[in-house]
Amino acid sequence: MKLEARFPDGVTQEDRELLERRAARLREKPREAEEESVLWAAEFPVGEDSYALPLESLRAAVPLRMVTPVPLSPPHVIGILRFQGQILTAMSLSSLLGGRGWREDPAVLLVVDPGMGGRLLALDCERIPKPVPLPHALVEEARARQAGAVAEVTLPGLHQVNLLDLRLLMDRRASEKRDA
Amino acid sequence: MLDPMMEQLLPGFLDECKEIAERVTDHLIELEKAHEQSRFDDLARGLHTLKGSAATLGLAELSELAHRMEDAVLPLRGKSSALPGALTDALLKTLDTWMAHLRATTAKSDLPDLKPSHKLLEAVRHAVQAVEPGKPAANNGKAGPDKGKTAAAQEKEKKSTKREREAREAREARAEPVPPEPAPEEEVGAAEDAGSWRVRTREVVSLLHEVERLREVRLRLEERRRELERGLSQLARLGILAQTAEVRALLMGVQRALSADGEEAGDIVASMEDELKTICTLPVRTVLEPLRRSVRDLCKRSGKLARLSIVGGEVSLDRRVLEALRGPLVHLVRNAVDHGLEVPDVREARGKHREGIVVVRVEQQGNMLFIEVSDDGNGLDLALIKQAARDLSIVPGAELDAMTPAQLHQLIFRNGFSTRRTVTEVSGRGVGMDVVRSQIQGLQGHIEVQSTPGQGTRFTLTLPAELGSSPVLVVRCGEHELGIPMAAVETSLLARSAELRVARTRVQLSHREQLIPVQDLGTLLALRQPEVPHDGQPLLVLQSQGRRIALAVDEVVGDRELVIRPLPPEVRDLAAYQGAATLARGELVLIVRPDWLSGFERRDASLTGTRRALVVDDSLTARALHRTALEAGGYSVHTASSGRQALEQLRHSSYDVMVSDIGMDEMDGFELTLEARRRHELEAMPIILVSARDSDADRQRGAASGADGFLSKKDCAAGRLLAEVQAVIARRQGAA
Repeated sequence: MKLEARFPDGVTQEDRELLERRAARLREKPREAEEESVLWAAEFPVGEDSYALPLESLRAAVPLRMVTPVPLSPPHVIGILRFQGQILTAMSLSSLLGGRGWREDPAVLLVVDPGMGGRLLALDCERIPKPVPLPHALVEEARARQAGAVAEVTLPGLHQVNLLDLRLLMDRRASEKRDA
Repeated sequence: MLDPMMEQLLPGFLDECKEIAERVTDHLIELEKAHEQSRFDDLARGLHTLKGSAATLGLAELSELAHRMEDAVLPLRGKSSALPGALTDALLKTLDTWMAHLRATTAKSDLPDLKPSHKLLEAVRHAVQAVEPGKPAANNGKAGPDKGKTAAAQEKEKKSTKREREAREAREARAEPVPPEPAPEEEVGAAEDAGSWRVRTREVVSLLHEVERLREVRLRLEERRRELERGLSQLARLGILAQTAEVRALLMGVQRALSADGEEAGDIVASMEDELKTICTLPVRTVLEPLRRSVRDLCKRSGKLARLSIVGGEVSLDRRVLEALRGPLVHLVRNAVDHGLEVPDVREARGKHREGIVVVRVEQQGNMLFIEVSDDGNGLDLALIKQAARDLSIVPGAELDAMTPAQLHQLIFRNGFSTRRTVTEVSGRGVGMDVVRSQIQGLQGHIEVQSTPGQGTRFTLTLPAELGSSPVLVVRCGEHELGIPMAAVETSLLARSAELRVARTRVQLSHREQLIPVQDLGTLLALRQPEVPHDGQPLLVLQSQGRRIALAVDEVVGDRELVIRPLPPEVRDLAAYQGAATLARGELVLIVRPDWLSGFERRDASLTGTRRALVVDDSLTARALHRTALEAGGYSVHTASSGRQALEQLRHSSYDVMVSDIGMDEMDGFELTLEARRRHELEAMPIILVSARDSDADRQRGAASGADGFLSKKDCAAGRLLAEVQAVIARRQGAA
C-alpha cells in the first residue's frame, strides 16, 4: 500500500513538489553512512611520494634518537632502540622500499605493529604522519590491481597514496634474506 | 569418579609424582649396578609415598599398583646384591605406566590398562623369590665379578658387602628390630595448600620483564642523581654562592634523597631478581638425570655398556631454556650411545674400557652457557659421511672429495642426512642433527662438532643464559660503544710496538712469553680497514673456548653491571652479538660474543668488494640509504657520522670515493672536503656532496671546495647516486 503525503491546506503544487523532492532526498542513504566505510590511515611523505599505513597498526611516533647502530647488519637496518622496555629494530623505510630519494633527513620513528605476533618495529619517517580516511572501495580496488606490499590508492583529485602492507613488506624482506 | 575437590589437587599431585618418579628411576638404575642401602631405603620410601598419596586422592588403582611395586622390591631389603635386571626392567616399565595413568587421569583422557603391569610384576616377583638367598641375581651378564672393574674396586666392594653382612648379622644377634618401614611423605592433600601456588608461566615471564624494566629505571635514577650533581657543581662554579644558597640547599637535599631512593630501589630490584631467579630457574640436572634411564634402556637394546657422567648439573637455568634444551640433549646423548660408542668386545679389542662413557658438561661464563656432550667412542666416520652424502645427493661428488674433515663433519647438520641404512627406533630417519641445530639456533645459540677417529666426538652447544645481570666491559671503537662480557677479559694493557710482531698478513702480541693473535675490533665489525695498533692503544686479552686473542679497541670506557637481553629477530642472526643491554642514560649497547671474536684467524672483514666507499652523514637513515645504493652497485661501504670521524678513517684507510652530507654539526661537508684536499694522499679521491637543499650557491661552494659532484637528497633515489659515483670516478680516471 502506498502512503500518500498529506499536506496542510493552502500548499501550492510548486511547494508540494519542493517538499516531495526534499523528502526523497532525506529518504536516500545518508552520505555519512557511505563515508563510514573508510580505512583510517597514517599518511606521511617518503621523498616525493606519499605513503600510508593503517592507523590501527601505528603504536607511537617518537623522535629519531637514542638509536644504536648495529655494525654488520643489513643496510636497511638503522639500529636498535628501547621502547617501553622492549628492544626494537629501527629500519629505513626508504631502503626497504628499494632505495627512494628523500627530501629531508627523517627525524621521526614510527613504532608499528606489523601483525607478527605482537612484535613491534620502528620505521623512520620524514615527518609526523597525519590521519587520512581512505575509502575501503578504493583500497580494495587498489589491492585487487596489485598483489604486493604496496597498494597505490588513487583518491579523488588524483592524489595518490601508497598504502603499505607491513606484514607483506617484512615477509618479502625475510624471503630475500633466505634466498641470499 | 573423583571427588571434585580432589580433582583440583591432581595437577599439583602430578608435579609431585614426577619428581618422585624421577628419583625412583635414578635409584633403580643405580641399584641395578650395585647395592646401596640408603638408596634402597629411599627407593622404598618413594614407592610408599606414591601408594599413600594415590590412596589419599582416591586413586585406588594407582595405589594398588604402587603397592605391587613395593611387594616386588621389599623382599630384597637387607640383601646385599644388586637389583636383578629383570626386576629393574619391570619396575621401570610399571613406573612409566603408573605415570601415564596419572597423566591421563589428570587430563581426563583414555586411561592405560594396568593389568599387563600387574602381570609383569607378579611374574618377576616369582622369579626373584626363586633366586637363592645370598646368591646374586643374574644381572644382564653382570653376575660374577665385573670385568670392567679394577681389582682394587672389586676388593673395596667385597669389603663393603662384607661389612654390611656383618652389621646385619650383628643386628640379628642383638635381636634389633628391622628398620621401620619408611613413613610416607607429607600427604598429598597439602600439595596445593597455602604453601605452594600454581602460577602461569606467562605471568611469571611478564613479571620478569617488569623487574628488568625496574632495574633500568633504577639505573636511570642513578644517572639523574649524577646530572643533579653536575648541575650543582656548575652553580657553585658561577660564583654566586650567596644568591643561590637556598636553591643549592634544596637541590642538595633532593640529591641526597635521590641517592637514598636509588639505593633502596637497587636493593628491591636485587631481591626481586633473586626471588625470581629461584622461581624461574631449575638446575640443569633436572633435564640431564632422566637421560640416565635413556642410556640404560638403549644399552639394553643394543648390547652396549655405557655410563652417563654429568658435570655441572647444579648450574641453574631458565626453565624455558631448559625445556627447549631437553629435546636436543636427549638426541645428542642417544646418538652418542647409538652411533658413537662401540660394543664392549670391540672396545676391549681397541684397548678401551668395556664400558663407554658419555659426558655432559655444563658451564656458565657470564651470560653465556656452554654445554658439551662428548663420548669416547668411534668418532665420526668420514668415509661413511661421504658415502651417505653421495648416496643422498647432498653434495656433488667432486666437491665432497675436496672437503676437509671439519667440512665433512658439518654435513651431519644437513636436512635429511643419515648414515644409517636402516631405520631403527633411535636413528636412521634423517631427522636429527638438523633439527637439533635449528632448536639450538632457536635459542639464539649455536652448535659445533669436533671428532677424532677412534677417540670420540664432542658437540659443544653455546647459548645465551638470559636471567640476571652480569659484568660487562664497555669499550669504544670509532663512534660505537660496545660491551664485552668481563668473564672473557683476562687483562687489558696498552700496545707497545716492541711487543708487537707485525708480519705481512697478521699481527701478534708477545704476552707472558706467548704470541697471541691481535685483532682490531673495528675491522672485525667491518667499521674500518685493518690497522696495526699504535703505541698506547688499548688492547684487551680475551680468552674464550680455549682460544686467546688480543683485541685492539679505541678506548676502554669502564666496567658495568648490565642485564643482557636478546636482540630483536631482525638482527638476531648476526653471530657477532650476544645481545644488548641498557646503559644508564637509556641507550642500548651491543654485547659482542667473545667466542665470535676469538673464533677466527686474521679476518679481513673490512672490505670484501672490489671498490670502497666512505659515506659521511650525521643521519642514520641517510647512511643506511647511501649504503643500500652503493652496496647494490658492488661497493663495500664504511660509514662515519661526522667530518672529524671521517678524517680519522681517512688517516688509516683509502677509499675509491667519499659521499658526504653538507649539513653536519661541527664540521660541514664543505670543510671536510677542503680538509681532505689539503692532504696530499686525498687530492685525487672523488668526493660527492649531498645536500637536503638543492641550491646553486651550494653547488658552486661545493665545486670551489674541491668536490667532484653534487646531489640533492631527493635525487638520491636508487640509481642516481650510483650513476653519479661512477661518473665522477670515470672523470677522475680520465683526467689522470
